[in-house]
Order: sequence, then C-alpha cells, then structure tokens
Amino acid sequence: MNTNLKISNVTKIYPGCVANDNVSLEFNSGKIYALLGENGAGKSTLVKILSGVIIPDEGKIYLNENNLKLNSPLDAKKNDIGMVFQHFNLFETLSVFENLIIDSDEQRESLREKIDTIMKKYNFSIDLDIPILNLSAGQKQKVEIIRCLIRNPKVLIMDEPTSVLTEQETSELFLSLKKFSEEGILIIYITHKLKEVMQLCDEVAVMRRGKLVSVSEIKNENIESLANKMVGQNLKTIKKKKAKTSSDQLIKITNLNFTSEDPFETNLMDINFSVNRGECLGIAGISGNGQSELFQVLSGEIISEKKSIEFNNNYIGDLNPQERREYLMAFSPEDRLEQAAIPQMKIFENVALNNFKSSNFFNNGLINENKIKDHSKKIISDFNVNTDNIELKSQFLSGGNLQKLIIGRELITSPDLLICFNPTWGLDVGAINYIHETLIRINEQNKSIILISTDTDELLKLSDKISVIHKGKLSKIMNAEEVTSEKLGILMGGAN
Amino acid sequence: MIKIVKRDQPSRAIFFFTPVLAIFLTLVAGGLIFFILGFKPFEALKFFFIVPIADKYGFSELLLKATPLCLIAIGLSFCFKSNNWNIGAEGQLTFGAIVSGGVALLFYEQEGFYILPIVILAGAIGGMLYASIPAILKTYFNTNEILVSLMLVYVSKLILDYLVVGPWSNPEGFNFPETRQFSDSAKLPLLFEGLRIHAGIFLALAAVVISWFVFYKTYLGFQMKVSGFSLKTAKYAGYKGKKMIVLVFLISGACAGLAGVGEITGPIGQLHREISPDYGFTAIIVAFLGRLHPVGIIFASLVVAITYLGAETAQIFMQIPKYTGQVFQGMILFFLLASDYLLFFKIKFIGSKK
Ligand SMILES: Nc1ncnc2c1ncn2[C@@H]1O[C@H](COP(=O)(O)OP(=O)(O)OP(=O)(O)O)[C@@H](O)[C@H]1O
Ligand SMILES: [Mg+2]
Repeated sequence: MNTNLKISNVTKIYPGCVANDNVSLEFNSGKIYALLGENGAGKSTLVKILSGVIIPDEGKIYLNENNLKLNSPLDAKKNDIGMVFQHFNLFETLSVFENLIIDSDEQRESLREKIDTIMKKYNFSIDLDIPILNLSAGQKQKVEIIRCLIRNPKVLIMDEPTSVLTEQETSELFLSLKKFSEEGILIIYITHKLKEVMQLCDEVAVMRRGKLVSVSEIKNENIESLANKMVGQNLKTIKKKKAKTSSDQLIKITNLNFTSEDPFETNLMDINFSVNRGECLGIAGISGNGQSELFQVLSGEIISEKKSIEFNNNYIGDLNPQERREYLMAFSPEDRLEQAAIPQMKIFENVALNNFKSSNFFNNGLINENKIKDHSKKIISDFNVNTDNIELKSQFLSGGNLQKLIIGRELITSPDLLICFNPTWGLDVGAINYIHETLIRINEQNKSIILISTDTDELLKLSDKISVIHKGKLSKIMNAEEVTSEKLGILMGGAN
Repeated sequence: MIKIVKRDQPSRAIFFFTPVLAIFLTLVAGGLIFFILGFKPFEALKFFFIVPIADKYGFSELLLKATPLCLIAIGLSFCFKSNNWNIGAEGQLTFGAIVSGGVALLFYEQEGFYILPIVILAGAIGGMLYASIPAILKTYFNTNEILVSLMLVYVSKLILDYLVVGPWSNPEGFNFPETRQFSDSAKLPLLFEGLRIHAGIFLALAAVVISWFVFYKTYLGFQMKVSGFSLKTAKYAGYKGKKMIVLVFLISGACAGLAGVGEITGPIGQLHREISPDYGFTAIIVAFLGRLHPVGIIFASLVVAITYLGAETAQIFMQIPKYTGQVFQGMILFFLLASDYLLFFKIKFIGSKK
C-alpha cells in the first residue's frame, strides 16, 4: 500500500529564532528521502514535529490525506510514524528484550516471536537477553530500529544515524534501509554526510535557516551541488600544504599504561609516541578501542605516571586538566552534552569552564563576569556561532553550533597543543570546512594537534602522521602520505 | 480533558511556585486529617498555624526555631548543590554543641567579653571536625557519605549522653542528666527583655548573605554549580573534586555546629540530653523547600518553624500529640517532591475550544 506523508505550512518559532519557516513537503513511500541542511537549519525540529516531540505553532501534517493530531510521541507511534533519534534512548542496564517491550502493551511471548521474525527477515543478529551496555553502537541502533519495526511503521525517520557507526555498520544499515523501502516503508533520513546521500537516497530536500530551499532528485545532483545548496555559496575545497616537518619535539608519551577498574572501559597498553611542533598526529580507529581513555589520559582527567608524559620538557603525567592548560594544552572532548559543556548553563558560563590564569575569568576567587562575557562574544563572532545572545542556555544551540563554541573556546587561547576527539562529529559541511581550516591554520602557526577521530577522510586530510588504535594498543606511526584509507581500514580491524 | 505535556524548559517562576503549592497542599491534607480525627479543620489549622505566632512572644518563638533551621539548611545547601549528600547535620550540630559546651564549662562562673567568641568558634570547629569524617572517608576510601554521616548522628548523641550523665554532669544537680548552667559571658545576649529570641539570629542572617555571595559571585560557587550538574564536566574542567567535597562538608558542619551553639548558649544555657528536636534532619526539608536558594531558605525555615510551634499549641489546646508537627513536616516534603513533577510537565486543559 502506498503511503503519502504531507507537511503543510509548518512553522515553529523559538524566542529569537525561526526554526521552521512555513515548510511544506510531500513524501511518498517507495523512496528514501534525504533531509539536508546546515547546523541549526531546522531539520531536527521538523522531524521532531513529525514524531510528536515538538508541537508546531502553525501548520498541518497529513498521512494518506488524514490530518494528524500529533501532541505526543505516543500519537506519532499510534499513527505508524517511527523515529530513531540521534542520541540513543535505551536503558543501559536492562536487557535488549526488556528495552524492546518497554513501551508496548502486547504479550511478552507473542512479542518475542515477532521480534525473532523481524530479526530473521533483516539478518539482524542480536542476543535479546544481554544488557544494552554490552552492545556496540551499531547494535544499539538496530535495537532502536527493531523497536520501531515492532509497530509496523509506515514512516521511519532517522536523525543522523551514522555519526556513531563504523563504515561496516553503516553499509549494513543501508542494506536494511533499502529493504525497508522496498517493502513500502517511507524513509526520511537526516545526515551531514553527502556521500551517504548519494549512495542511499532517491530524493533530497535542503533546508536553510528554517526554510525549505530545494527539493530535487538525487540523479540530478552531485556532492558539490548539494554542498552549495546547503551553504548557499560555493565551498572552497581545502587542502593542507605539507608542512616542512620540524624536529622540535613538543610532547612525548613514554610507556604509558592505563588499567581500568571498569570492565566496560578499554585498557591502554604501552603507548609510545611523540609529536613535533607544527605537526598533526592523527589517531584512527573504530570507536570503543580506547580512544576515549587515551583522550582522558592526555587531558589529565585520568592521571598517570608523572614521567610518562613529557610536554615542552616538563613531566606532566600527574597533572589535572586545569594544571595542564597552564602549560598551553587545550582539549576538545567528544561528548559535547555531557562533558565539554553543561547544557543547562548559559553560553558564557560554559566559556568559563576553560579557565587559564591569564584569561582572568576569576580574580581572587571572584567571578569576573564582564571579562567572561567579552570573551564569549569574541568566540561567538570569531567562530560563527549562530546566536548573539550569550545568556542563552547552551542546550538551545544546535549540535553544530555548540561544537563551534567548544572548539572556539579551546582555540581562542592559542594553545601550543590541541587534543581533539571527533571535532566535526555531527557538523554540516560548512562548519566542518571551517573547523578543518582552523585546524590547518593552527599547524601553520607552528602549533601542534593530536586528532583522535573515527572519520578516516578527516584524518587523511589533516594529519601529518597517522597511527591506528586497536584494543588499547597503538600501531606504529606512519607518514600520512604513505597511508591510504584501505590500509587504515585493515589496521583498524586489528591486522598488522 | 486534561493532558500532560512535557515542558521545554522549567521556567523560573514554576521553580519557586511548586514549593508554595506544596505548602498549600499540606494545609489541605492537614485539614483533612484533622477532620478525620474529629476536629473542625479550620479551627485546628488556626491553632496550628496562626495562634502560635499571633503575639509578640509567639513571633519571637518562631524566629527562635527558624534560626537553627535556616543556619543548618544554608550549610546543607553547599553540600546538596554539589551533589554531596550530607544527611548528618544533626550529628554535626550535636558535636558542635558538645565542643562549645565543653569550652563554656571551662569558663564556669567566669566573666569576659572574649568568652562568647571562643565558645562560638569552638562550636563551629566541632561541627567541622565531625563533618570532616564522612568527607574524608568519602574522598579517600570511597565510602557512602549518606550512611556514614547518618550513623555518626547516633554516635554523637551517645557521646552527649555519656558526658551529661557522667563526667560533665552538674555536681550539685542531684544526678539529673545535665551540666551546670553556663556563665552569662558564655551566653548569647537576648535581643528583647522577656522574649527568648537571641543574637544567634544574626549568625543565621550572616550565613544567608555569605552563602548568597559565595554561590553567585565566587569561583568556588561556580565550581559547585558545575559539579552539581555534571561531575564529568567538573573533572574535564580540572576542578579539584576531592578538595571541594571536603570543603563543602566543612562549611556545612560549621553551620550545623553554630546552630548547636545557638541552642545551648541561647535558650538552653547548659548541655543536656535533648538539645535539638531534630533540627538537623528537619533542615533537610527546609533546604529543599527553599530550593537551595539563600532567600528561599529564609522563607522555608519560617514555614517549617511554624510546624514546631503549632504542634505545641495543638497539644496544649486540642490534646493532639505534638508529633503531628512531624507529620506536617513529612507532608511538606512529600508534596514538594510530588509537585516537582510540574517542573518537567505541564498540565493542559483542553476540549473547551474546538
Ligand atoms: N527550545 C529552543 N529554544 C530556542 N531555540 C531553539 C530551541 N530548540 C531549537 N532551537 C533553535 O532552532 C534552530 C533549529 O534547530 P535544529 O535542532 O532543528 O537544527 P538542526 O538542523 O537539526 O541542526 P544540527 O544539524 O546541528 O542538528 C537552531 O538555531 C536552534 O538553536
Ligand atoms: Mg539536529
């Protein structure tokens, strides 16, 4: 049966920002639709309206000509609209099965059968009786998808589903999505990765600043044309000039080990590397192989043997992040919402989290609010954060803008070494370009970067040297010119 | 039809409205209980909440009870804001009282302006010492501060018992479990002739002002705010988590200790077994009812103080056991937790408009 979903003149206004401005769109089953747009363009807002999470100020939604009243996520579920959110909504300590049946009123046994059938049909293999926390990101996402499929949805919406997946997991997801589509499920797919759009989708809608700017068929588009539509101008392609490699060593890690008491963390084994001034060391790997532990050891959130880290001829292994910042190190963690920033606090308060003595945010133990605010305004304008209200709680920034704020906060102090973990995670092409440019500029100013990333393209673009982390061990360090993405892929899988 | 909708963001107004709603619901439920017990609800509530503070004396009694509640709750707000669950303020109060009482007894029948400050200081130090136990055990041995601080309450009460019955009991006191009366120089001055309200209230007011300043104007306050939201972020920012834990416990212990000093050098004037009608526990309710905000805590301490007074008048005039006071305190907390639901959800009445 054919499904037709129509969005008609939807508007959602937030104080100081029109998130959706009179958007009308029509979708038909049998096709996979991409929804593209810069950070803050209003994509998430639009699909949250479709899934009942947000109630629009104006406009109507029709499913097969029926006007839907979507006042809550439950209404959406009842109307066969399923959504997989960007962040997982699973109970980590409950089993897969318990998570799947939690919002269902059917019988446990019949559900188990149903789930088994679904898994067989789409070749999912997940043990239903282990707790969620033992699953990889790709498996967790499958659980979310199964949760939608149980209700035989007519519409399946996915908001940036691949940002946490490995390449292997991504191609598996695509196979499933294509199958769903063949079976008549209407799929709406949000992403920032234009390559994926070209691979997967049939039609593409582009939003900019809350407005729908174009709807077109994929066969008439290419990556450049899509990027230009999103940003509204031509994007320059950026390329790193290969630096004259200096031999002036900035940081040296020697025999660094970390053994965690937490069974779900990865132990680091015998890490050794060094980075010279003006250099970017890329660390590749499939997520969950010790990147987060490595980041924490480097930032000082996990303290190690004093002599295991030598920075600018000082041993700093036993210093905490605040003390390391005084040596001109800066850190940009992966987790924006739970670690790098506090969503409930205002923008300028978040800026004060990175506190150098010389920035004078706090004098004699007192808050110097004016200083912090001036500094925040500078970050916002230098790094194009799309707001001018530094009193805004940072939870209301779109993901990309929050990331710009954080990177800006770390870079504006012009550190000697920036350690960043997936810095462009979830960002739009324009923002990625901007951050890549910034990172290249840092290297040109003879400052160094350790770039931990799960995005191979990004690593190949920015790094001078590359190493791969697998199960807490680093591969040997290679010159970036000698490396190809195939070679990285093999090393990431654990081969030597 | 009634519909419950999630709020985008709890507004500031609702944040301070729910405590008021909780108090209102407590009154309604209290009236209902009185009714079931066979009293006229309005009359009983009047005895409970209005009669006790209708005259000058009553008002002074209200401030007298609100003083320790406010002081302790201010101290607790430092702990609670930074995710440290100090439940043992009653123990810190008791131990502060023991130390300052001991010092006051050293100055038995002596005079001098310097005595009172020393006695007060001793109480604060006593409270801090006692609060440092759960703090240090938590930071260095990973123990749970809720259990440790709570159990230490009973330890402190037994120490007090032992002292007032044994070594410190009044030699001329016919074996009553109490110490000698402190000398006048070791007592807080009364503010008005014939009323029991004493200078301890200034300690509480000072604590309010200082805590407001610390919370909103200092680096320490900022660090507490961050740690309260996310310990992960605090770690990333590089705040010295352990030091801060110890510090907030010390502040909280000092406040509770001062509340103890206020009681024994104020209305009581000696040490005996029952120096506090569980002020240390009730102050937890006060802290949350006041939303951990200095000004909120002032109001909350006044409201909760009435339940102490009301229970006494109700006992005298209506032969209701004075434990009804605790029932009211429990109901306030209960309704507060329940109405906090409104922080995250709003109730919409729909159906009338088509
Ligand atoms: N509750 C809110 N109050 C104020 N502004 C908001 C609120 N929620 C979202 N916004 C704003 O609405 C705009 C659209 O946000 P939305 O999350 O839809 O963007 P997006 O296209 O999904 O971006 P991203 O690619 O970064 O996820 C943003 O500018 C955001 O700051
Ligand atoms: Mg989004």
